Amino acid sequence: MMMNKNLVMNKDYLVPLLRKLAKTHRLVAPVRNEYGDTLFTIITDLDRTEIDLDHQPQASLKPYFFPQTDTLCRYVIDCDPATGAMDYSFHVQLPQNRPTVYVGVRSCDMFAVMYTDMVFLHEHERDVYYKQRRDNAIFITIACNTPFDNCFCNATRSGPFLESGFDLQLTDLGDRWFVETGRARGAGLTEDWACFFRPADEADKRAQFQAELEARGRFKQLVHVDLASKLLAEDKVPESIFRDLSSRCQDCGGCAFICPTCTCFNITDQPRDEAGGERVRSWDACTFSGFTAMAGGHNSVDVETGRIRRRFLHKLQYDVDRHGRPSCVGCGRCVGMCFGGVDMIRFISMISEAGENGAEAGE
Amino acid sequence: MKPINPHVLTPTMVRIKEAADMTGHERFFRLRLPRPLGHRPGQFVMVSVPGIGEAPISICCGPGDHDRLELLVRSAGSLTMVLQRLETGDQMGIRGPFGTGFDLADFEGRDVLFVAGGLGLAPLRSLIEPLILDRQRFGRITIISGCRTPAEELFGREMRTWARAPGIRVIRLVNDTAHLPWDGEVGLVTAPIAGLDMDPAATLAVLCGPPVMYKFVIMELAARGLAHDRIFIDLERRMRCGIGKCGHCQINHLTCCQDGPVFRLSSVESLPEALA
Repeated sequence: MMMNKNLVMNKDYLVPLLRKLAKTHRLVAPVRNEYGDTLFTIITDLDRTEIDLDHQPQASLKPYFFPQTDTLCRYVIDCDPATGAMDYSFHVQLPQNRPTVYVGVRSCDMFAVMYTDMVFLHEHERDVYYKQRRDNAIFITIACNTPFDNCFCNATRSGPFLESGFDLQLTDLGDRWFVETGRARGAGLTEDWACFFRPADEADKRAQFQAELEARGRFKQLVHVDLASKLLAEDKVPESIFRDLSSRCQDCGGCAFICPTCTCFNITDQPRDEAGGERVRSWDACTFSGFTAMAGGHNSVDVETGRIRRRFLHKLQYDVDRHGRPSCVGCGRCVGMCFGGVDMIRFISMISEAGENGAEAGE
Repeated sequence: MKPINPHVLTPTMVRIKEAADMTGHERFFRLRLPRPLGHRPGQFVMVSVPGIGEAPISICCGPGDHDRLELLVRSAGSLTMVLQRLETGDQMGIRGPFGTGFDLADFEGRDVLFVAGGLGLAPLRSLIEPLILDRQRFGRITIISGCRTPAEELFGREMRTWARAPGIRVIRLVNDTAHLPWDGEVGLVTAPIAGLDMDPAATLAVLCGPPVMYKFVIMELAARGLAHDRIFIDLERRMRCGIGKCGHCQINHLTCCQDGPVFRLSSVESLPEALA
């Protein structure tokens, strides 16, 4: 087994290291744009771009592996001018495979990539479109010394520091980065560019340990994720909670779109011209009123009372059954997104409160 | 790990060998495939018209090493409306087959009761065909098929032919004769169940129809002492991918396209929304 190495890199060396990597790789990192939004951005000019490692990127890495709209195949219509007969054909269209270094990825977002790997690469049919984008990806993650206001990755066990999944994990030690190598590619990278790193000494390791310990004490949210999964498994969640939250849902799909682990999609045809068009898959949301509606109008889900059930149960119950852990990564983005207050923290608080009252009532 | 198939979401265009209206809003298609699908009874294919879209359609012919694929399409949405206009020689896109379907081995030596409501007969036909073809392998077959009016009956001529095979009873029903000639019975598909000559320990029931039908047929079957693991139901859901990823057909922890669309009642009856 390969041992994870602990190294140290001078704070000022990160950009020079990325400059080296950019020669062979596409770079993606959080960048604060002119509107003040921090978003993962493809960096074309490292010298004119300020990487923002201080704020949580507003969106996760999801669009880089599972874009909001993605062409699956093209269709071509050939019309025989003599007879007027139409001849159709479909042609698979695969995305480019571009070696990419993702920099400044928080633990929750890295964990989300590992979850979507499971969905697209390990369950049922493997997804070639996802795989094309996922191959040759390198992740330089950043441990969260200071969790953000809505974060609860401590409760979903997906942060604030990672033990695996990353290629390199950086921890901010003030004047220097503590660097851990995870997967083989990360270790290779530190060997290729050994000049940027030095071995970590005892003081560095102590400082990293201290940072991680302090980070765990800085969460502002107390979210009982495991209790929620337990209550759902025991069928101890009152229907009124689903009804109440369903009625607050405004059908915008924002929670699913912003969620790093929501992967539902629709497939539609988009005509381009007389000679054909594209078959496209695009993000969908199980909270949409038409999500399960069939041609003819029948809907197996009572939208008024149960539209949000699937979203929360998928993450907190079905995935716990299937994979042994919830597929919520505690990034807190849905909390900031939903103006109806139908978010993960609200749901879990409501059911754990109901569970407590139930326990007191001797149920 | 299963090898990756880059074409799983890309349809193959297939020629229509035969197209005919079966009722005012259901059209029957026989396609000639470039190679046999090797499908199981109860499986489905995703059917496409380029530029319009794609929808899941049950395969309604029996399995076998043949290049024939038969589909019965009801006009219900934008795609199936366009499909009604396709003629012999036209093309449609096909992906699949998907789903687990029925395992013929489960039915060996058993009596089989089919209960079909309306279009539900189409997928059941993919299982009825092989049972009739290999008569001695299976027990008695009873087919209860109901529809609204005689004009809406599906596979009527075929059902009369099936009824002539040994050990097969076919009960054809309409809710209302609508002043049309009718040689079957009048009533709901639930009505004949109480009077059937049936050994619940040797019988498997297979149901396909609208959700409301399941509830009442299951009650009748339960009254006859049929255990829920001996009842198969074919569930219909909105589907987009057929490969268990798009999320539309999810029923709790199951996906209808991968774990179904055929389920034993015992495996889904406790799931909210499964029979809704």
